[in-house]
Amino acid sequence: MSNPNSASISQLVWLGLGAVGAFFLLMLVLNWASASTSGEQSLGSVDYASNSITLALEQEPPQLDSSRSTDSVSGIILGHVMEGLLRVDGNNKLVPGVAERWEITSTGAKFWLRDNARWSDGSQVTAHDFIFAWQTVINPVTASQYAFFLYPLKNAEAINSRGMAMDQLGARALDDLTIELEFENPISYFDKLLAFSTYFPIKESFFNSTRGRYGSDADTMLYNGPFVITQWVHSAQLRAKKNPHYWDKDSIGLDAINWSYITADTTAKLNLFKDNRIAMVQLDAETLESALYNKWNIKQFADGTIFYIEFNHRDGRLTTNYHLRRAMQLVSNSSELVYKVIKLPGNLPGMSLFPSWQMGENKLFQLEYPTPEHRVDIDEAKRHLEIARQELGLSSFPPLVMLSSDSPTARKQSEYYQNVFKRTLGLEIKIDQQIFKQRLAKMLAGEFDVVMGGWGPDYEDPLTFADLFASWNIQNRGRYNNPALDKQVRIAQGSLNQAERMRAFGAIQDILYHDSVVIPNYERGRIYVVDPRVKGLVRRITGADPDFSRAYLVDKDSNISKGDSKVAAN
Amino acid sequence: MTENSYRAQAGDFNPIIADHRIQGISRPSLSYWQDAWLRLKANARAMVSLYIVIALLFFTIAGPYIWTVDPAFQDLDQVSQPPNIDRKATLIKPYPIWDGSTGTVDVKDSETLYLAQAANTESVRLLWHVMPGAEGYRLYRNIFPFEQGQSMGLPLFTTFSPQNRLFEDLLDLTPRTFYYTLVALNATGQETSEVVNIAVEVQRVLTIEQAVSKGLVDSAEEVDVGDVVYLKLHPMGTDYLGRDMLARLMYGARISLFIGIFAPLIFVSFGVLYGSTAGFMGGKIDQVLMRFSDFVVALPFLLFMILFKIAFGIGPGESGVMPMLIAMVVLSWPSTARLVRGQILQIREEGYIAASRLLGAKSRYLIMRHMIPNTMGVILVTITFAVPSAIFTEAFLSFIGMGVAPPTPSWGSMCFEGIKTMLTHPHELIFPALLISITVLAFNLLGDGLRDALDAKMRSRE
Repeated sequence: MSNPNSASISQLVWLGLGAVGAFFLLMLVLNWASASTSGEQSLGSVDYASNSITLALEQEPPQLDSSRSTDSVSGIILGHVMEGLLRVDGNNKLVPGVAERWEITSTGAKFWLRDNARWSDGSQVTAHDFIFAWQTVINPVTASQYAFFLYPLKNAEAINSRGMAMDQLGARALDDLTIELEFENPISYFDKLLAFSTYFPIKESFFNSTRGRYGSDADTMLYNGPFVITQWVHSAQLRAKKNPHYWDKDSIGLDAINWSYITADTTAKLNLFKDNRIAMVQLDAETLESALYNKWNIKQFADGTIFYIEFNHRDGRLTTNYHLRRAMQLVSNSSELVYKVIKLPGNLPGMSLFPSWQMGENKLFQLEYPTPEHRVDIDEAKRHLEIARQELGLSSFPPLVMLSSDSPTARKQSEYYQNVFKRTLGLEIKIDQQIFKQRLAKMLAGEFDVVMGGWGPDYEDPLTFADLFASWNIQNRGRYNNPALDKQVRIAQGSLNQAERMRAFGAIQDILYHDSVVIPNYERGRIYVVDPRVKGLVRRITGADPDFSRAYLVDKDSNISKGDSKVAAN
Repeated sequence: MTENSYRAQAGDFNPIIADHRIQGISRPSLSYWQDAWLRLKANARAMVSLYIVIALLFFTIAGPYIWTVDPAFQDLDQVSQPPNIDRKATLIKPYPIWDGSTGTVDVKDSETLYLAQAANTESVRLLWHVMPGAEGYRLYRNIFPFEQGQSMGLPLFTTFSPQNRLFEDLLDLTPRTFYYTLVALNATGQETSEVVNIAVEVQRVLTIEQAVSKGLVDSAEEVDVGDVVYLKLHPMGTDYLGRDMLARLMYGARISLFIGIFAPLIFVSFGVLYGSTAGFMGGKIDQVLMRFSDFVVALPFLLFMILFKIAFGIGPGESGVMPMLIAMVVLSWPSTARLVRGQILQIREEGYIAASRLLGAKSRYLIMRHMIPNTMGVILVTITFAVPSAIFTEAFLSFIGMGVAPPTPSWGSMCFEGIKTMLTHPHELIFPALLISITVLAFNLLGDGLRDALDAKMRSRE
């Protein structure tokens, strides 16, 4: 070894080149192997031969029992495979579903069902199926979180929470095809509830035959909607095909929908879309630039969901203290969060629990009842924090637990708030990131001090937001209990006078701000790209969104590329 | 010089003075370690790696005292900035809420879409004239120039009221050129072919109040509107929340190298103790000890990591570094133990051990004098190879979210965050990934060099 340095360096170079070469070769072999094995099974985003499309789901639906489901992913699937008395069409109008016609008065309602509505086993959808489903929802044994959805029905609340006998429920099947309802109080928005999944029918004999496993698998469910689930591989994929027994099957354009990917990772979904594996992708701040670069037609949609920080009001939690909550409220700046941190177009800085598009009596609700003015005031916040410290008798504040979901946006958001509270108030925040299911469970059990919550409207009335903090609402995760707020919610629920109801909503908005119950973060806007060969996608604020149930494929020969805005603009 | 001519002299019969210089060793005597060091020095690869390791330790230990930037500080004016960005910002007066007026700009009737005020990072205020047949408008923003028939970019704003002809853009404004496109909508809300566009150069600005609160200037009196200030310097750019990458890499290195160095030190020393006991005792004890280590090898690491995390009561939002360290120590020692046991078994049968024993050496002496030094090479090499694997494990666990809790950075968690923005802001992934790669490579090559250098059989060979 006369010159060890140069010898070892050239050796290193050769080794490096060899390694890169070997790696490259390995990639080629693997690529070839994956192409040759999975080529048959995996369909493209749009498959003309089977007239199907492939999509990705954000999360695995916890279960698909319509009497118990609460989350938006289950809502998407249920919206494709089930149908209620009424449904919402592509223009967000209520149209007949299983019910052919109906009549709603101030004391009750009557529905006449169509005689050609069928379950996926071929049997008729009858009035009894609806009554059974509703009885299941309000049965205290089911412990449905959405039982309050049926409280407009006479005695429903008493049966659900005070153990009244089930036969007192104000819903009866007069015969196989007629349903008669009695209301607890006059209600102005009842028809809007009926398209929601909690009001979907369940066939009693089938439900009982599943022995409590209804909705947990593809074969433990019976479907009456446009599609039926043929395969449900948990945490991997869901496949649905057109329901041959559906009464309106002629207006269904697709033969199958495959939710073949379950991931919340937007980069992965962007790549799937780029590779023509899925027909639609939701974009975020990170993937937006790639979408612009690829010159896709980006569309925007405000989905009506409001995101906010909620506090835990259970005994023993520090957040029961008003001054602590007020201090945290005073340092938060939703405008900075939306425009500098989340950076997603379409998102609006949160101002109130009610979304900005909400209509009031005559004009926008925000114009009739302006949101209380909020200004960031760090000195005032510190003063409140000091009062809180003395009232709680603490020498210093222990870390607060902030529960958040594990999506990239939620992570960014919680780290942003962690820093804001630390920098301005010196409060330590521990971030508890949980997957969707686990986060819902923890929210319900109250294992948090602060939670990044969100609420999508279930029906188009401000009440869907307004009753969230009513003391009896199970969705009131922090168990906030304020009789003054409860009183206003009762007024909004029971009154038929729109002016009076809007006044109540205005009062609720004020209470929520002045008692520091929520810190609004943002109103969500979605930006997304759809494969231009798929038409008829419906985005909507309530119910199943995105809804592909009446989507169809454009002609194979029209030859559209993703960047072709002339054809794809609409 | 012939035979005849020589005559003996008296001095010839003096005894030769012993000249020790001749028999002396010409080169200095080298101990085992000196010899190893010489051989290591001759290995350029290992030496470069050694310097890299030293530099990394300096980066980790001394770095945060030199670059005293808080790794959790969020500089929201510079989110996801690559290194070497222009940091100039012009100071402006506080921005009043826009009432839709045109301000100081001359309105040119020739342009349908125009700016109400000079565009800057605080806001871009756009106004437009009536477009023929428009029942509504949709405004797009793009970062690529407008091309006929191509996508117009990101839909920012849609209105179905033809009177509504202004929009204030606040979204993620960075100093660059934005291309705005306005499309007229027809009565059914569909886009028509009436399209106008405008290129807007956005200037970076700060209000004086913001500059003071961010500590860029000392007081509001010192500066005036129109002055140029420099935003905070981030030599390696910032991450997705505007946090300084260099500071995060330094703090992240603490976690990574802490795990990378302490875990191997602890489990290798335990493995040495365990393996040498088994090897030296032999017989039944050896059998029992080694079967137990086989059992430990079969335990799955990830599962134990999770179990420890729960057993330690590490709640959500708390650092999982300690359970990670313990799981590594508890589960990684058997390989070292086996290696050392093998060595000890071999050495035990050597002749010099038998000789030593016959001369009355006690076990303690045998172990300390003969066995440990002879296995030292193996032990050191095991440590240097265990370091990169421990760093990798930490990176992997932090990558899957089992490691550090936010906002504490580690190289693995930084990669995890960086991979989401890989396409748009590659520096957030490249820097931590590069550091992991360099560290792991340096430790591997150093270990390789040490193995050659410490091998007793290589002694005094070139």
